[in-house]
Amino acid sequence: MAKLVLSSAGSIVQQCFVDREVVTIGRQPDNALVVDDPAVNAKHATVFPVGNDHILEDLQSDGGTLVNGARISRHILQHGDVIQLGSFYLRYLNPRAASEVDLERTMLIEGLRDPSESVPARDAPRARRANVRLPSGQVRVIRGARAGETVVLDRVIATFGKPGEQVAVITRRPHGYFVTHVEGRRHPRVNGQSIGLEARALRHGDRIDVGDETLELVLD
Amino acid sequence: MSRRFIEIAALTDAGSVRQFNEDSIVADPDLGVAVLADGMGGHRAGEVASRMAAQVMFDRLHAHITGFRSTAGPHSSLQAVDESINRANRAVFDAARAQSSYHGMGTTLAVTLFYDNRVALGHIGDSRIYRLRDGVLTLLTRDDSLLRDEIDLGLISAEDAGESHNRSLVTRALGIEERVRAHLTEDDARGGDIYLLCSDGLSDLVDEADIELIVGGLQPNLPLAASHLVQAAKDNGGYDNVSVILAKVLQPFSAASQQRWTLRWFGWLHGTGR
Repeated sequence: MAKLVLSSAGSIVQQCFVDREVVTIGRQPDNALVVDDPAVNAKHATVFPVGNDHILEDLQSDGGTLVNGARISRHILQHGDVIQLGSFYLRYLNPRAASEVDLERTMLIEGLRDPSESVPARDAPRARRANVRLPSGQVRVIRGARAGETVVLDRVIATFGKPGEQVAVITRRPHGYFVTHVEGRRHPRVNGQSIGLEARALRHGDRIDVGDETLELVLD
Repeated sequence: MSRRFIEIAALTDAGSVRQFNEDSIVADPDLGVAVLADGMGGHRAGEVASRMAAQVMFDRLHAHITGFRSTAGPHSSLQAVDESINRANRAVFDAARAQSSYHGMGTTLAVTLFYDNRVALGHIGDSRIYRLRDGVLTLLTRDDSLLRDEIDLGLISAEDAGESHNRSLVTRALGIEERVRAHLTEDDARGGDIYLLCSDGLSDLVDEADIELIVGGLQPNLPLAASHLVQAAKDNGGYDNVSVILAKVLQPFSAASQQRWTLRWFGWLHGTGR
């Protein structure tokens, strides 16, 4: 179960478990969490549950609600978030939400919308931000029509060569760049040697022949 | 023999974290059928549900197409998909009732049936179907998921969804109730189009811009595109099973030409035609 811990000047003022009920936050004593600070509105913010999430909403307060230093109007709380209300700090603790894998199991739940209603045109949920470090580098074209140009390798793949004749792909992965044959009868060469059909790890300074071009990998 | 209408590359992987793979995929380019299912339920029942659903779907669609090709039209591939989904739903539902360890099992579903220059699409749950046309990736399905509802109701933005812990909560699944309502649509399939069926193990971990880049850039080599998609999901954490089916339309496939092709192939088998 998740917990909200209110503290002021380094000491804990109040704790409150959050599960399926709405938690009201404000200066007034009838709030679930009472924040006795003149900078805090009588009804300042709420925390409400949606599925596995707790969503913090600022109730258009005068002083605003800050999460980890940034002002929010609505925010999906993350384990360890620090909410600032006037001179008070409110910490959200939810160890269950911190362990990624446990929540990955697909489960059935009641929807929020009436399925027969027409569907508004909104974007689909985005992929989550990946927590990985990726290499950064580029290739210098040292032979061919584009000689002298550089191509920055800042996307998941970059393709090189002539479509229909010979194409190779350079793939950016957490442990480095790789080159792989895509199409054509000839396979790309790295430092003069054909790479066949396997992905080949690239090192700084490697020279790749594909199509009419020779490329040199430069790692930052 | 080179008169294939559809090329298909399919790949499923347990991911980087899970021990078991509860996704199932079945595809056949000659029939123009692709089915993907992402199972749920304890004690590996999800595996049973997804495998059963995919197999029943495939068998039923196979029977429908065989019927289409041997009798004069018009034929409704949407109806064939709908009937197949109902049969698959019933099979999983009955199995779940018959054995206590299967109780509550279910599965998502994404299915495409290519017939007569069109593609019939069916889906349930949070498995998705995309189309890449002229280099642009378009999502053709709407997830049955809590997150999707939250976005539609304006509770959260599509961007904030990346921060949510509701990623695996689906609002509809196959096999849970005696009847299921699937989402059914049809699309014109044009030469060069690539349809992508995927489980949420891909769409949760690889953003659409990267999916578009990989499918578009590697489309001359469809198996490589499929393995790159799975690899990208695993490189980004691989928290879930990840499955992809890429179906590329190689050339127009009117019902008449498909029928001719089948007959010629049949004749060749029997040594009478070429």
